[in-house]
Amino acid sequence: MQAMLAFQNAPPFAAPLRFFLTAPLFSLAAGLLLLAGGPELLASRWTPGLLAATHLITVGFMLQVMLGALIQILPVVAGVNLGDPLRVARWLHAGLSAGALLLAGGFLLSQPAALSAAALTLGLTITAFLVVSGQALAGVPSTSPTIRGLKVALTGLAGAVGLGVALALAIAHGWAVPLPALTDLHVGWALGGWAGILLAAMAFVVVPMFQLTPGYPARPSWWFPRLMIGLMLVWALAVYLDSAAAIRIIQAAVALLGIAFLLLTLRLQMQRRRARADATYRYWQLGLAGAILALFMALTATIWPPLADLAGWSPFAGILLLVGGFMSFIIGMLYKIVPFLAWLHLQNQVKPGKPAPNMSKIMPDAAMQRQMRAHAAALALLLAAAIQPEWLARPAGAALALASGWLFFNLQGAALRYRMHLQELDRETRVA
Amino acid sequence: MIHPKTQHVVDARYMEPPEPFVQTMEMLDTLKPGEKMLLLLFREPHPLYKVLRQNGYTYETELLADGTFEILIWR
Repeated sequence: MQAMLAFQNAPPFAAPLRFFLTAPLFSLAAGLLLLAGGPELLASRWTPGLLAATHLITVGFMLQVMLGALIQILPVVAGVNLGDPLRVARWLHAGLSAGALLLAGGFLLSQPAALSAAALTLGLTITAFLVVSGQALAGVPSTSPTIRGLKVALTGLAGAVGLGVALALAIAHGWAVPLPALTDLHVGWALGGWAGILLAAMAFVVVPMFQLTPGYPARPSWWFPRLMIGLMLVWALAVYLDSAAAIRIIQAAVALLGIAFLLLTLRLQMQRRRARADATYRYWQLGLAGAILALFMALTATIWPPLADLAGWSPFAGILLLVGGFMSFIIGMLYKIVPFLAWLHLQNQVKPGKPAPNMSKIMPDAAMQRQMRAHAAALALLLAAAIQPEWLARPAGAALALASGWLFFNLQGAALRYRMHLQELDRETRVA
Repeated sequence: MIHPKTQHVVDARYMEPPEPFVQTMEMLDTLKPGEKMLLLLFREPHPLYKVLRQNGYTYETELLADGTFEILIWR
């Protein structure tokens, strides 16, 4: 039976790893942008520099890791393989990286040509990914809330990218469209309809698995993806009908639904059976706190809209949700996934009866915890900078760059140790 | 652990990977012809499903209200 341990057809490590190693460089670039741009960057949510930095984080960091991880995780959580995952990984990684750079450059330099090129590159790349992953998932019955969530999240991604492409082209060509309403809708689809549903679908599996918590109750897990995407569709309709009151009510419902999921996750974490608080657990605690607070701010602003016009309000909430929430969840998961994949691939190479090197040797917990403190410090500085940009914008940018560089260093170290062990095994096999 | 579906149960709900997989494989080795085993998990184990199919096993999965997946396995 030992031979059965080999997980055949797991995508090669190189497929997801390229995404994980590039992503921190984009958040590092966002930090450098803030360091160079200084306080003017945070003057409002519409400054070219802040739009560039935001997309370096959302497309360059978040989308990069999320799609890279999906290639790896589809066989595990849905039992489907993308045909030739390494080839998919290559063009997807190239398209996302080029698209994110073009988009950030286009915003920063107010270059219509770059914005159009970014829209084309990201639009085509992600459409191709949606076709490939949609084909793989089409024949799979939704036997778990995770599979249903994945399918719905891909619909959310299609909506988010469609709106993003339309907005980028509208800005590039000066089309007359209701920019603020469409931008809010784009943000809703990207963070709620795509990232939020994907996060939940993954959390249903990874929170109990890696943090040894109870499972997510079945009924709300089945409903969450459908409710969220339903709200997104109604939101789009409300924008089309130009009904400000309806938009506010829907935004409040989205925030409440998000808060409900996050509070449920928090409750499960409190019942966990793992005594030790590892880096993943702490990152998720930070993520939950950040995201809950950010959504409460969004909820409050729907009840009393003038709040959102306060100086610093939008950047503060945005930083809290992106750097505090999503980045924390994603890095927390990377710190489990990367050592686990390295271990899994090494385990498949070693001779029967001989264990692969321990996961903690591939990525030491102390290194992850230290990087996490740098990330938390960067978050605190960024939040303070949203209120007091004059003094703190540049230090906050430097802190984000430092935390991201450190993340790159940790992940790159794990990849190097993996290759070292692989070469050792190779030598042993040749000697034997 | 005794369960109405079978007396051969691996409750892997609070185990870290790859322990659920390893313990399931070990229990399958001890099953006599005609016997069934039950695996309890908070997720669907698709990699295990694949190995089971390749080795001529049949399985049936039920999701309970508390989020537990009950996977009944037999040959």
